[in-house]
Amino acid sequence: MNMAWKEMKKNKLRFLILGSIVFLVSLLTFIISGLANGLSQDNAALIKGLPEGHFYMSKDADQTINLSRIDRDVQGNMLKKHKEAVAFSIQMGFLNDEDEKQQSVAFVTSTESSVFEMVQKGEVVLDLSMKEKGIQVGDSLTNHQYSGKFIVKGFVDQKKFSHAPVAFIHSEDYQEMYRVKEMQLIFVPGKDSIGAVTGLDVFTKKQFLNTISSYKAEQTSLNMIVWFLVVISGMLFGIFFYMMNVQKMGLYGILKAIGVKTRTLFHMMWTQMIIITVMALMISISLSQVFNRLAPKDMPFSLTIETTAQLSSVYFIIGFIGATISGLQIKKVQPLQAIQQGEV
Amino acid sequence: MTRFTLDKVRKTFINGEVKEEILKGINLSLREGELTALVGASGSGKSTLLTIAAGLQPASAGQVLFEGENLTTMNGEQVRKIRSSKFGFVFQFAHLVPFLTVEEQLLLMLEVSESKTKKTEQKKEIDKILTLVGMNHRKNAYPATLSGGEKQRVAIARAIIHKPKVLFADEPTASLDSTKSKDVMTLLRDLTKSLNLTTLMVTHDEEMLFYADRIIKLSDGMVLGS
Repeated sequence: MNMAWKEMKKNKLRFLILGSIVFLVSLLTFIISGLANGLSQDNAALIKGLPEGHFYMSKDADQTINLSRIDRDVQGNMLKKHKEAVAFSIQMGFLNDEDEKQQSVAFVTSTESSVFEMVQKGEVVLDLSMKEKGIQVGDSLTNHQYSGKFIVKGFVDQKKFSHAPVAFIHSEDYQEMYRVKEMQLIFVPGKDSIGAVTGLDVFTKKQFLNTISSYKAEQTSLNMIVWFLVVISGMLFGIFFYMMNVQKMGLYGILKAIGVKTRTLFHMMWTQMIIITVMALMISISLSQVFNRLAPKDMPFSLTIETTAQLSSVYFIIGFIGATISGLQIKKVQPLQAIQQGEV
Repeated sequence: MTRFTLDKVRKTFINGEVKEEILKGINLSLREGELTALVGASGSGKSTLLTIAAGLQPASAGQVLFEGENLTTMNGEQVRKIRSSKFGFVFQFAHLVPFLTVEEQLLLMLEVSESKTKKTEQKKEIDKILTLVGMNHRKNAYPATLSGGEKQRVAIARAIIHKPKVLFADEPTASLDSTKSKDVMTLLRDLTKSLNLTTLMVTHDEEMLFYADRIIKLSDGMVLGS
């Protein structure tokens, strides 16, 4: 007999309250997690979209991308040794459209590579978000530090850096605008590091992301909120089940007296925890996915199925631990005490 | 025929440095088809004796023998198995499961006793027992909608549905008025005879002794007479 389900059916309100809290907290967790991922994408989609590899930056830049200058000989040697390596630079700047409306962008240029967009002199390839701002293929854009005009050659999706859309330009145009011959960074694809290079710092992708200004602070804060919510949910599970168990001590005692196994009582509690969690998560996952699709374009929001599945698993584990710890008192219930107390 | 024997059963509670002997070597034999009433003043040890006999708490010394098996040497799981399959309980309060209907209370008991009977047979058996206790017309009712007497009848039905050999009743009429108490006692006596049960009942109500086959008087942890 499914006592767990029968109890839930008879005490709908009590379980509805618990379910609602799990639903609300999990929805909040999913939404904040979506925002964290969205901001992360908005801040570093250009880097996150690159394959696994290692980044090199000049040592004297002290982990600040803008200050990095890689000696041209060093760059030449590295690119010669590692055919798939690419040197690139990133600088924040502005592009003016035909109406002189200024758009903030991150200019990116690189040596010949398949991981970055290649453009000819005087051309620009933009992140797709620029299209939503009214810019079209064939438009000519200007920059106060550039003598010519950039012709828009196309758009690419998910290429953002430091919350700005990326504008891929030719290295000669870049050099004219920023008056530098050296590239800032070298990226070497591949899981294994090629080792240390004199005068350069090496970073994994994860380490490199943290050198992007604001990325670490943003992600640390948001992830802390997400995990804080997960822990709160676990505690809520524990407290709610504890309160319910305290109320049911008499009942548990009588059930034990007539011969119900302690294990059966734990199964009853776990079944209730699983039913509540599944129902609450199903609703919050559905709503968060609907939000994922309907969220305003300006709002950086990205909630993948993988993240949702990971968080849901954590919820199950935390819920299980919370319910089990609170349920340990079931083990201590003495049938005799329950019998001697009044009606359950 | 003797089904249940208590041999020199003692129970001592230690509270700090104070040692209190509640039962002082009880010898008792309970027979099939017999309703035995345990009577005595408050604190005489009658409820303690019943709970020790029922395997709900251990004796400090002595033996509790059920059909030749010694409950005092068994582990908790072995005692639980015997309790769920061979014993039935009726408490002072009905102690029904609030979220189960009358029929489900009995189904639960059959499940707990690991009854091998098929579901359809179980339902027939439940109908039979509920008819016996006069509660078949309320089989879909929840405890909250039953009167005190009805609850106690359901509790009795739950105590016998799995065909136990021994029925323990701890003040089964204490929460009922006199008419309902007599109904319940008549029922307990009739069931003891018809199902050949060994019934041990604790009561402080002298009127209920009329229904007992045997009366055992306890005083200060000892049997005064039977």
